[in-house]
Amino acid sequence: MSEIGRLAILMAFLCAVWSVGSIAWGLRAGLAGPLRSGRNALWAVCGLTLVAVIILVRALMAHDFTYRYVAEHTSLDLAPLYSAASLWAGQEGSLLLWLLILSTYGAAFLWLYRKRLDPFYDAVAMVVASVAIFFTYLLAFICSPFRILANPPADGQGLNPLLQDPGMMIHPPILYTGYVGFIIPFAFGIAVLLMNRTGTRWIEEVRRWTLFSWMFLGFGILLGARWAYIELGWGGYWGWDPVENASLMPWLVGTAFLHSVMIEQRRGMLKTWNVALIVLTFELSIFGTFLTRSGVLTSVHSFAESSIGAWFMAFIIGSGTLATALILYRKALLESENRLDAIVSREGSFLFNNVLFVALTFATFLGTTFPVLSEAVTGSKISVSAPFFNRVNVPIGLALLLLTGAGPILSWKRATASVLQRNFIIPTVAGLVATLLSLPLGVRGIYPIVTVFGSAFVLATVVMEFARGLQARKDVAASRGAMAIIDLVTKNKRRYGGYIIHVGVVMIFVGVLGSTVFQKEAHEPLRTGQSMKIGDYTLTLKGTEQKMERSAALTRAVVDVSQNGKSFGESRPSKAMYFKSQQPMTEVALHQTPGEDLYLILGGVNDDGTVTLQAYINPLVSLIWAGGLVMLFGTIFTLSDRMRLRREEKEAA
Amino acid sequence: MNTTVKILIVSLVVIGSVTYLILSGVKQTGMQYMTVTELAQMDRAPKAGGFRLDGIVAAGTIRYDQKAPRLQFRMTDGKEAVNVVYDGLMPDAFADGRDVVVEGTFQHTDRTLHATKLVTKCPSKYEAQGLGEDKS
Repeated sequence: MSEIGRLAILMAFLCAVWSVGSIAWGLRAGLAGPLRSGRNALWAVCGLTLVAVIILVRALMAHDFTYRYVAEHTSLDLAPLYSAASLWAGQEGSLLLWLLILSTYGAAFLWLYRKRLDPFYDAVAMVVASVAIFFTYLLAFICSPFRILANPPADGQGLNPLLQDPGMMIHPPILYTGYVGFIIPFAFGIAVLLMNRTGTRWIEEVRRWTLFSWMFLGFGILLGARWAYIELGWGGYWGWDPVENASLMPWLVGTAFLHSVMIEQRRGMLKTWNVALIVLTFELSIFGTFLTRSGVLTSVHSFAESSIGAWFMAFIIGSGTLATALILYRKALLESENRLDAIVSREGSFLFNNVLFVALTFATFLGTTFPVLSEAVTGSKISVSAPFFNRVNVPIGLALLLLTGAGPILSWKRATASVLQRNFIIPTVAGLVATLLSLPLGVRGIYPIVTVFGSAFVLATVVMEFARGLQARKDVAASRGAMAIIDLVTKNKRRYGGYIIHVGVVMIFVGVLGSTVFQKEAHEPLRTGQSMKIGDYTLTLKGTEQKMERSAALTRAVVDVSQNGKSFGESRPSKAMYFKSQQPMTEVALHQTPGEDLYLILGGVNDDGTVTLQAYINPLVSLIWAGGLVMLFGTIFTLSDRMRLRREEKEAA
Repeated sequence: MNTTVKILIVSLVVIGSVTYLILSGVKQTGMQYMTVTELAQMDRAPKAGGFRLDGIVAAGTIRYDQKAPRLQFRMTDGKEAVNVVYDGLMPDAFADGRDVVVEGTFQHTDRTLHATKLVTKCPSKYEAQGLGEDKS
């Protein structure tokens, strides 16, 4: 079977090469035959990759330890679903998953655009295929997942216990769907430059593809944060770990693009900047894969260190240089149609939004790669960690929060003094009132206060925008109440979808504020029957118990939790000792309420029979997850808007 | 003043503040990487702000008071060793011979590293080891 897998990857490589060559020839000679052949070859890449994935997953589930990859990442005691999910537990399998998603995007693109006989779309497919060449080459010649062992072991080495969690099963594929999806906007951008494409339809298309990937990437990042919160057991959800940063960077640049593309659609400005942002988003996605998989930086994720780092560096530098050269070569195509009239305007606010997003990305990039950079420049390795990022990124993030409020209520071209007065009074008052109300709750310091002010400001602007829209519609239609709102938002999904996303962002800001500023911590060794207090909770130890599971032995503390004297059940923080790795794993007991989470960790059973418990109260963490869901909903809502695409169509026709 | 100039000025202010944030951030929170040998051979305590040390947990040196909780061990790079104290729960993957990274300050009086952060690198068990050659 492994030979078939190897062969499939090799053929996928050849098909990708054929696809690029054939389309290039077809475009040059203006022949339809080679173009069709090239498109079919891209379909074949997808099919062959799928074959390879099926073979590897079958081997993983059958515990076929003749495969090196299977022996490295699974064991006989592993549950079937985790065995299948081990596909992305290691480097080779992750790359294969990357290729599968990449070629699926290519196939989905070909399917969606099957009726468009415009060579421009063939050029897009060609760019996708050329990236597929890189990944198929790596998988075929550098790190094959189909290596066979001379002496297969009786049992495998097992899956890292950290990864044995339902979150592990969905987090990487969703994150990758986001990462890899930026291939399509990148391919569009490059194809526009290659074909000297004019017109505006492609901009709306790129916007939609970007939004789709952006949604998955953002959702994947939040799932990762949630996984860290539940599984890593340190009471937090974000540690500015290099791999977290790696996924954040393309998301930030993608966000910048989603904003500035509106200026291009509306005013025909910032064209070069937008293409540059698309290219940067894609390169950062590749860089993210590189960071995760190369082990160049110390991180909890870098369980695999290998030589593919150099290949990724070469690919990033090569493709980045080519894209830059193309942008310079096609300067005339990207000429701006308008100039910025005034700084205090919608365009101005978007421009600063962009500057700040890029600054945020730059600071994150610098901080993440600082050890490597400082060693290269000064010779001594200096590293920065969470305090650096909090210091640098928090103020930039807060400036962005304020812009989130200001941007939508500034008018296009030029905001006059009367508009400013009319639009800013209510949100400013709302912000000030919220700030005053928050002071007795213990909000102190400039950043928390700005967060409260900014959040209330943004929410007020969103409410105002909805109210204003309703007011305007009232004159036209007679619909009332809830119907009127539905009517309003479905008529302009993009606009109101955007506001919904902003509400989600505010929820996340408030959740982060609550859980960082108001977190409480307590730890104590307890005997059975003794209790400890944290906040208004009383934790009483009722005893310990042992439990055997399929791949681990569990030690659990049984803790009675009561709040203000009212018991609300038992909690069981545990430690699992995995048989395979002989490594303990902390399993957090979590009581979630909308207001705050009670987060319990079992430190361990002591020699004298006491049990060490560590407890955290994390206020408002639920708002972060809920905010993520609101953003997800807002994005899906925005994506369901096809009006603009149709309008572009009409104009083109 | 025309708009281009204004944009330039505001952009410069933004870029300037971000640069300031980054530079001061590095200066105040940056931690120098050191090896155990470098640290052990120093006559004076290194930078007060702290530094980052990579090494291995010396076998048989772990003393863990779970009730405090306080973790003490010796960290080595094969040549020299230093004492480390960490007030916190022992990380799951922490054990003899594991690769660890600690951040903290060093007091010359007791020649002990007071760690504020302790990260255990994932054990190499999950990497290709001991599986032997590929079938040719």
